[in-house]
Amino acid sequence: MINISKSFGNKSVLKNVSLTAQAGEILCLLGPSGSGKTTLIRLITGAIKPDEGEIMIKSKRIPDMSVIKSIGFMPQSDAIYTDLTGKDNLLFFGRLFKLPKDKLRQRVKEILELVDLQNDQNLLAANYSGGMRKRLSLAIALLHDPDILLLDEPTVGIDPVLRKVIWDQFEALRLAGKTIVVSTHVMDEAARCQRAALIYNGSLIENDSLENLTAKTKNGCLEELFFKAQEAGEAI
Amino acid sequence: MKGLIARIYKQMINDKRTLVLMLAAPLLILSLLYLLLGESSYMPKITIEKSFPASVVAELKKQNVRVTVVESGENADTLLKNSKADAVATMDMSGIHIKMLDSGNSKALKITEAFKAALADIYPMGSMNITYLYGGNGDTSFNSLGYVLLGVLSFFFVFIISGISFVRERENGTLERLMTTPVRRWEVIAGYTLGFGIFAAAQSVLVTLYTKYVLGMDFAGSLLLAVLLMVLLAFTAVSLGAFVSIFANNEFQVMQFIPVVVIPQIFFSGLIPIDTFPYGLGKLAYIMPVYYGCTGLENVMVRGYGIGEIQQYIYALLAVILFLFLLNVTALKKYRKL
Repeated sequence: MINISKSFGNKSVLKNVSLTAQAGEILCLLGPSGSGKTTLIRLITGAIKPDEGEIMIKSKRIPDMSVIKSIGFMPQSDAIYTDLTGKDNLLFFGRLFKLPKDKLRQRVKEILELVDLQNDQNLLAANYSGGMRKRLSLAIALLHDPDILLLDEPTVGIDPVLRKVIWDQFEALRLAGKTIVVSTHVMDEAARCQRAALIYNGSLIENDSLENLTAKTKNGCLEELFFKAQEAGEAI
Repeated sequence: MKGLIARIYKQMINDKRTLVLMLAAPLLILSLLYLLLGESSYMPKITIEKSFPASVVAELKKQNVRVTVVESGENADTLLKNSKADAVATMDMSGIHIKMLDSGNSKALKITEAFKAALADIYPMGSMNITYLYGGNGDTSFNSLGYVLLGVLSFFFVFIISGISFVRERENGTLERLMTTPVRRWEVIAGYTLGFGIFAAAQSVLVTLYTKYVLGMDFAGSLLLAVLLMVLLAFTAVSLGAFVSIFANNEFQVMQFIPVVVIPQIFFSGLIPIDTFPYGLGKLAYIMPVYYGCTGLENVMVRGYGIGEIQQYIYALLAVILFLFLLNVTALKKYRKL
């Protein structure tokens, strides 16, 4: 169960944002570049502290050591060790999560197949293409089988075929009961979420189920909601 | 923590260039220095007055110098200035006078030693008046240069490598990612310190053995004790590199800390005698890990002191390591409060 409620007054980045993600749903943080999506995700991981408000995960206040284990985080930058092989990257992070040796080996094998890197696992990550790095980064986030996934723009720079594969995986994870918070600036990706939070200039402009949001637009295109917010901003 | 150590080990093995730099560069520099400053084949030219007894001249010729005998040493200054002679020796009622161009170089040292050896048998009590055309009476710390540099060099390379790899970890976001795992802050720092410490220790052992067995430097004291001091000094370098990286946003900015952090330490390493520093500046040495390391090394390698006499340096280095460790663990709070 994930329950993020916060309002904080960091003027420049995020203004009084409150939202909650339910277990077993994909929550999409939708917004243009620089709207504050990454900041929001970093706040949820506990990497930065809110000026005001609080973030609760599994009714524990962040940061909390017992909750950390159930979070899988994929940052926007690849955040992998390019001077290690793909497999060694996974082994390293697996050891940080204190996975037992046999289980870790098994899990690394599974996850490498999942992200289709099993043939390149012994290659240094420095030799990986952009898409391969993204997949490795995603693999690290999934490695310890977390209940909650925080994914910051996981499909940027990934070709459409692979993007579909990755989103199919998200769907499979959701059906397995995981909670996924994913940020994106690609509007059509929101179509695969249950709920979308629209962030514009650090403010939450919409936070609703996808059906309700689509109903608010004339032609079912979520971009309209941003244009509306922009007009409203200019009017003030 | 073991995972971190294993990771750093693998990274270093995968990055052969850094590994070679860390292990071979100090050897290269020490060898170069050894060749430049050490036992060179250069024979100083000594011009000596005829008034000296033939036995002295004969004895001097046995030394590793070239001797020219002249009628009078009156034009000594011209000879010296034109590099016709490195030293001019004259004799009068008040004793023996040796005039050299300037003080504080290896030529002067060789000449003085040659004269000492030549005169020892004949005039054991004879006083030598050494004057220099330029500069004062130079009692240099030249001899200890090698020992001092041993410490400074490994400190320098380990500092750079640990500082840069830590800043890289901040830069590419892996540190932030690291802090979203259940790893403890102290584990990160300890893992880092030990992971690089292993390579730093390997470097220390290599450098010390190389200095002794390949360059043939004299070791008065225990080799083991010298290695221990080097390893401790290397650990302070790892910690200091990690600490400095907090204030640096990229590799280039780590480099900018070299003049601030490394170079002042070289001044306090014993290269310049610390007790001669004015305004009580010598006291600054107490905050410099290189001072403890190099003074300890000098005591072991030149003076042959045992562990009892240098234990304060070992404690001081341990204290510096512990202090920086706590500082670094606290600094990681920036990434996670817990």
